[in-house]
Amino acid sequence: MSVDAAATQGTAPLPRRAGAEDLGIDLSDREFWVRPPAERHAVFDRLREVRPFAFFAEPEIPNMQSGPGYHAVTRYADLEAISCQPAVFCSGQGAVSIQDIPADLNDFYGSLISMDDPRHARIRRIVSKTFTPRMLERVIASVESIVDEVLVEARRAAEAGDGTIDVVADLAAPIPLRVICDMMGIPAEDRALVLAKSNVILSGGDPELVDVEDPLTDLLMAGIELAGLMERLAAERVTDPRDDLTTALVTTEVDGERLSHQEIASFFILLLVAGNETTRNAISQGLLALQEHPDQRARWVAEPELTRTAVEEIVRWTSPITWMRRTATRDGELNGYPFAAGDKFLLFYAAANRDPAVFAEPHRFDLARDPNPHVGFGSKGPHFCLGAHLARRELALTFRKVFEQLPDLEITGPPARLQSSFVNGLKRLPARLGGAA
Amino acid sequence: MTRIAVDGERCVGSGACEALAPDVFEVTDDGVVAVLVPEPAEGDLPDVEAAVRTCPTRALALVSEQPAGAAG
Ligand code: HEM
Repeated sequence: MSVDAAATQGTAPLPRRAGAEDLGIDLSDREFWVRPPAERHAVFDRLREVRPFAFFAEPEIPNMQSGPGYHAVTRYADLEAISCQPAVFCSGQGAVSIQDIPADLNDFYGSLISMDDPRHARIRRIVSKTFTPRMLERVIASVESIVDEVLVEARRAAEAGDGTIDVVADLAAPIPLRVICDMMGIPAEDRALVLAKSNVILSGGDPELVDVEDPLTDLLMAGIELAGLMERLAAERVTDPRDDLTTALVTTEVDGERLSHQEIASFFILLLVAGNETTRNAISQGLLALQEHPDQRARWVAEPELTRTAVEEIVRWTSPITWMRRTATRDGELNGYPFAAGDKFLLFYAAANRDPAVFAEPHRFDLARDPNPHVGFGSKGPHFCLGAHLARRELALTFRKVFEQLPDLEITGPPARLQSSFVNGLKRLPARLGGAA
Repeated sequence: MTRIAVDGERCVGSGACEALAPDVFEVTDDGVVAVLVPEPAEGDLPDVEAAVRTCPTRALALVSEQPAGAAG
């Protein structure tokens, strides 16, 4: 690839595995990930400018062997070049963890997102139809009533108490959770379990959510419990089919093949995790961004037609998934950087989404930004977010309905940030309804 | 004449094209896209071009063709 790439970069080959100690930057330092976004973005800016393939030692995780380290990809063009060559930069050795997935967790967490072709394409095509814009027309009414229901409950909770709510627990978490449970046909009484276990899975090792001495056991248990729930549900749908995603999954055949029970269980877990935390954090941090940019909020309230671009800007701005991982399958060179088979690359979507080479005034929150080729749902490549169309609809409906039904929503306190490099998350965001309490 | 070409090996049915030009593209039950209008009208071209650009797997292309007979 190098002739063109080297010409555009116009530089000599970059040194291999250059760290960033001299810049005072360590992305493996857990404390870094609870710093305010502005500080983290200043660090991304610095890396993008001076060390676009900065190399870091892997964070230590108890009972897990650390690998050789990883490259932090922060430039949009590099990230896209890696993402669109899945044969050279694969996902099968792990996409959502810096360490390779231990074999005993693979059964539960080794789904779609950590697969390569041909298995990836086979499974992705079985599920893709369910998430297309046309198919989602059918679930849109139910998404609407779920949002209504949650907003009414939030108002009630505020009125029953001192007028305060937690944006995360009362608004942002229940909406995507109910939507995905609804699509899959998970009974209401199992929602709490689903929420608790997906919190563990995406805790990023946050001490409030997992045992820091033994996070793997917590992960394994969460996987076992969710898989148990899914297997029960799948078995029920075989004998008693309904109009839900679970039924589609147990009955769909592609080339005469059906998904195995284990494939179904791990896909379910992926959906729960990928569909929940991401949308939740786009909602909570989107509301926070609107509070911090009252002019933008006022404009969107007054101009409903701004919704299409506003939703994209919220995903760019919040980048709920900070990175995905790829692993080189062979030696080569990428935009002037020589890499070797086995090299790990973390694609920092959050950094690429503020790359001034692509976005004018990248640190400006601009709900009318257009075009907005952000990579919040992933960059070019076969793993592009399956739920992007659904997430866009959920976000559009949620924000518009919050403006209509909770116009008095006011964020009152600083957010509690999740200590995770992978998910840009909030654990709590205090707010008030109805003016002074 | 402009024709839409799909690389069925690359397409994973992300539906990005369907979102941008629903009259032209539809993801089928096989999880890959079907082109409903292989030779889109002039007016649909901007949306189709956006779909080609946006396709995450770069499975779409616009090919200019010679009038019938010259090409296959
Ligand atoms: C704002 C919300 C969301 C964001 C920011 C987001 C982000 C992402 C990202 C960055 C990827 C990885 C792309 C890549 O590796 O190239 C991804 C993949 C995925 N997402 Fe989402 N997502 C969101 C919502 C959802 C929802 C609602 C669902 C499902 C209900 C979902 C299901 C998935 C699945 C299944 C994959 C794996 C696809 C594959 O490997 O083929 N996501 N998402």
